[in-house]
Amino acid sequence: MIGFLYQYADTMAVLALTAVGLIVIFGMMGVINMAHGELMMTGAYATSFAYYAGIPTLIAILIGGIAAAVVGIVIERVVIRRFYGQLLASLVATWGLSLVMSQGALLIFGPQVPSVPTPFGSFTVGEQSYSYYRIVMFVVAAAMIGGLWSLFNYTHFGVRARATMENPEMARALGTNVRSIYTLTFGIGSLMAGIAGGMFALTATIGPFLGQYYTPQAFITVVVGGAADIFVGLVASVLSLGAVRTIFTSQFNILIGHVAMLVVALAIIRFMPSGISDWIERRRQRVRNR
Amino acid sequence: MTTAARNAGARRVIGLLDGPNEPARGLVFWLLFGVALIVAAAAPAFMSRFEILNTSNFLINGFVALGLGLIWGFAGILSLGQAAFVGIAGYAYGIIGINLIEIHGNTDLAIVGGLLVPTAVAAMLGFIMFYARLRGVYVAILMLVVTLLFETFLNQTAGPGWFIGDAHLGGNNGLGRFSGVIRKPPSLTFGYGEEPHVFEGKSTEFYYLVLGLLVIVYLGLRALVNSRLGLVLIAVREDAPRTESLGYDIRLIQLAIFCLGAFLSAISGVLYVSWGNFITPAAFSVYNNILPVIWVAVAGRTSLTATVVGALVLVWLSQRLAVEGDFALVVLGSVLVVSMMVAPRGLLLAAGEAAARLLARSRPAARG
Repeated sequence: MIGFLYQYADTMAVLALTAVGLIVIFGMMGVINMAHGELMMTGAYATSFAYYAGIPTLIAILIGGIAAAVVGIVIERVVIRRFYGQLLASLVATWGLSLVMSQGALLIFGPQVPSVPTPFGSFTVGEQSYSYYRIVMFVVAAAMIGGLWSLFNYTHFGVRARATMENPEMARALGTNVRSIYTLTFGIGSLMAGIAGGMFALTATIGPFLGQYYTPQAFITVVVGGAADIFVGLVASVLSLGAVRTIFTSQFNILIGHVAMLVVALAIIRFMPSGISDWIERRRQRVRNR
Repeated sequence: MTTAARNAGARRVIGLLDGPNEPARGLVFWLLFGVALIVAAAAPAFMSRFEILNTSNFLINGFVALGLGLIWGFAGILSLGQAAFVGIAGYAYGIIGINLIEIHGNTDLAIVGGLLVPTAVAAMLGFIMFYARLRGVYVAILMLVVTLLFETFLNQTAGPGWFIGDAHLGGNNGLGRFSGVIRKPPSLTFGYGEEPHVFEGKSTEFYYLVLGLLVIVYLGLRALVNSRLGLVLIAVREDAPRTESLGYDIRLIQLAIFCLGAFLSAISGVLYVSWGNFITPAAFSVYNNILPVIWVAVAGRTSLTATVVGALVLVWLSQRLAVEGDFALVVLGSVLVVSMMVAPRGLLLAAGEAAARLLARSRPAARG
């Protein structure tokens, strides 16, 4: 039981960390960024370089986040800006970008960079040994979701950002600099992706194709959650997809775990085309109208 | 048949082949097309054995490019996973071929299986996606996810348990050449009895087979996009709800064209595996999925001609770059990003339109 809970928490942490940047960029802004995984890769690389330059692990992860944010802002200014409102075009352009970034990393840094040793040690329950770091990851993921939620709900910037996503013309008319809001919001999403990448750099090998593995999962998680309320959506999606994947992975293997997650995601999108959060929102309104 | 009826029939055929839905048309285009055909037909006489088999490989890519151009450029359905159908076709052909080549003495059933299995998979996926009215972006990403799952699955089939009849799936070594097993996917083999005809991948014959098929498929698709169905496709692309309100079942139309796109990819798959007598899970990799998107997007997806020419030019270019160093994919990715920024409808198409405008402007002057 403890083993299962531990696995469940770990799977949820991974899903939440991969998707937390994308709920801002895709869920909230409605911008497709296929290079999301490559932003995570940027974060992982920067974390590794910083760590081996003698910087403490936690600060190294922050540096990873900042590096990804800088790269993200440049991408937004140079490329993605031109494709607002054209989903398929931005999908293709950013996919090209992800190819350039992963292949570029391969050319410059080679097939692998040294991963960072996992801190905090481990504990044992019965026969099994568990790593504290996995639990830290879960806590960090929860803290990042909570932090984002407070940012967008309680700060001046958050209100302006939500107004911009809701109605850019009106926000501009009321004196909000819409362009810089878009850039900043994109930067925040990239920062989250970079921190997630930095967190993963402590658990697995880091290579140029790290992003390819995470981008599809991130999109599935965000799409299942939906955009009606990105935070409720993310939590619901991580809880449900995480459970499916943990159960099927432990009963069969990793591949079947992935397939099961995809099948469930498809079923959810089939019956809730705008994601779980939209479905919840509608239920709530129906109850209120009664 | 009267002369008048024959003339009407001829005019109808010309109307389909030279209709307005394919931008590359008119007398000048067909003259160029004729020249290109003559050059392609005469080329083997001037090429080395290696150049011939290499060019065959280039041409094989034309089918998957046409398939993506058709569904994305004409029907507005973007799929990031067209390589799935190439790979499934290759594996289906290989597995059936390995098992039946000695019993039947030909690859007829392998070809049928290689073409139909991926089309059936496309029908299943398409049914789920289009009848659920998934958004275009979801369709695109879902296809990529499905493809990558195939890759992951096949990569873990290295163990001795993964035999289908005599065919060993071979994990990441794939079917054929690199696995320790001697049996590899057979070359295309036709006929019965003692002397079946084998189209060996390295041969000039195989080159002509692929070239002939490509020309037939290209002309057939020209006729398709200029037919009534072609008009409906474009209507779906431009305004799906309105097309639906006019009484068309857009889900069925999208499903049908998606299957046709998969079928075209399957032709590539069957030809590819019979050309090299091997296929590996890398056929499903991110690169093999992004390459068709690059060719079609950079060339111009709303033109079948641009799609084929773009695929051939870019495959040639990436091979040249690969000789120079490992940066081929970085260059191709950059070409994609830049072309999406400067010419969203495609570089080749934009160039062709500019040339056509120049031509149209100079013509009255030449007459006067």
